[in-house]
Amino acid sequence: MRIINKAGGLIYQREFQPGLRKLSTNDYLVLAGTFHGVHAITRTITPKLPLAPPSTSPAVSSPGNTAPATSGYSYPNPGVPTSGLEFLETDKFRLTCFQTLTGTKFLLFTDPLTGSVDTIMNKIYELYADYVMKNPFYQLEMPVRCEAFDRHLGAWLRGRT
Amino acid sequence: MAAPPRHVSMLSISNSNAGTPQSASSDKPQTPQPPSTPQQASGLRVPSNRKTIYDRHLNRSRNAELSRASFAYLFAEMVTYAQRRVTGIQDLEKRLNEQGYPLGLRLLDLLFYRSTSTSSSALSSSSTSSSPPNRPLRILPLLHLIHGPLWRLLFQRSADALEHSVSPDTPNEYMITDNDPLVNTYISVPREMNMLNCAAYIAGVIEGVCDGCGFEAKVSAHNQPTEMWPSRTVFLLRFGDSVMEREKVLERSGIK
Amino acid sequence: MSATKASRIGEETRIDKVNAELVTLTYGTIVAQLCQDYDSDYQEVNKQLEKMGYNIGMRLIEDFLAKSGVGRCANFRETADMIAKVGFKIFLNVAPTVTNWTSDNNQFSLIFDENPLADFVELPDDGRAQDELWFSNILCGVLRGSLEMVQMQIEAHFVSDVLRGDDTTEMRVSLIRYIEDEMPPEED
Repeated sequence: MRIINKAGGLIYQREFQPGLRKLSTNDYLVLAGTFHGVHAITRTITPKLPLAPPSTSPAVSSPGNTAPATSGYSYPNPGVPTSGLEFLETDKFRLTCFQTLTGTKFLLFTDPLTGSVDTIMNKIYELYADYVMKNPFYQLEMPVRCEAFDRHLGAWLRGRT
Repeated sequence: MAAPPRHVSMLSISNSNAGTPQSASSDKPQTPQPPSTPQQASGLRVPSNRKTIYDRHLNRSRNAELSRASFAYLFAEMVTYAQRRVTGIQDLEKRLNEQGYPLGLRLLDLLFYRSTSTSSSALSSSSTSSSPPNRPLRILPLLHLIHGPLWRLLFQRSADALEHSVSPDTPNEYMITDNDPLVNTYISVPREMNMLNCAAYIAGVIEGVCDGCGFEAKVSAHNQPTEMWPSRTVFLLRFGDSVMEREKVLERSGIK
Repeated sequence: MSATKASRIGEETRIDKVNAELVTLTYGTIVAQLCQDYDSDYQEVNKQLEKMGYNIGMRLIEDFLAKSGVGRCANFRETADMIAKVGFKIFLNVAPTVTNWTSDNNQFSLIFDENPLADFVELPDDGRAQDELWFSNILCGVLRGSLEMVQMQIEAHFVSDVLRGDDTTEMRVSLIRYIEDEMPPEED
């Protein structure tokens, strides 16, 4: 699991499965930055309705809702902003990205068969709102080092399995 | 008796009935409180619809609840603000303690007022006292007042333990334990500040209650985590010499 | 989203509670401390309260979004309903009235019938506090901070307060602009 701040910096990462291959710290940062950039690009290239939707990379599935205020085109769901990349899938794992309205991104690497990733995401977001945002010693946009967040997140995930 | 010097330095922004310490002796239950004639025939303007503190019942908010998040944000901001103005952990705890102190004084009045104005058992259900608590004269009833009614008023439950120091050197020390203090629910103290316990705020509240009752005391909050209760906190109450001397006198004259 | 739907979300969102008096008294002690630290310079106290609120707002928005599950608002009128009927309902258990819109739909008022922060409060009788101090000014900051996090720049201030002897407590909120999304980084 990863959390990426608004500027594309990695502020939290944690493995919940033993035996996952470790990358170097730098690789994690690059991964976060790259993903952030790709995410932003997928958002800007989100097709507008009157155009024939150009097919993006088969691995990238971005939902079709757009609301580019600058274009004169119409769109199916005005008011719903473009979301950018939401998940990536390989044979062996699935990457789900949840971006909050404030711009923070939560990334979850799971087994492709894991169900109800949405529920997990929502819970992670709630725990983040509680144990990170309500901690006076946490500075916004900085790396997350909150013992209570780690503890509650771990306990909740253990309770699920 | 040590006159609590901090009373006078308090600001007059009055939450609750702090301005009327005599309300504890009110013997007219269920009459509209507080006094209908404010003691400062005040220069304050009041709204024509009479939405002032004098027109609204003090028990109105008795069972009212608010979001725990709102409290957490206010408290976090209090800690952040205090942190900007202090140099060390002790200093920070002292400041939080000072911010809690006026609450103690006010809550004390509120506790007395409610215990006299209600026949229901909310306050008197404490296992230790069969009658509603009056102003405690001895240390033990005071501690029970804190451990039971005060904790229930603030946190909807009693504290988890009440102990007397076992050391013969410190007979003036008592400990009240909270396994999971509400104020610390969302707080993770950074490792380099691991001595800090933000429940110093509640220690200040306790100190205010003690002082308001005429028991000079110093109260501090200490981390005593266990496996099961990672934010377990012990409030250490150290009563002043004058209090201990008075205890002896009262004991001899058989006052409980 | 309709105002009634907003009220429903406000009613139904699950929230942990605490004793209201603890919140009220804690806010009271914060204001009292500021008055002391700034030597009863109430203008400065107002400013500090607004700043505190701003800090809170930037954090509180996450809780609001995570717990209420609401999405982005289509326009500022919807935002206003969301603030009044969901935001205030969740965090202060009140639902101020949204009213006095300007014709361009960029400014409105929130009228508070109840204000838990100011419960049992009487301002100092020093001949100045009632003219200078906005006791609940922290709320203006909370709105500014939280809306900024969802790309709206706003300005909020109180125009009346029962603590000052006014008949109502009213806050004026103005939309300054929508903050455009930052452009994606060009490198890589």
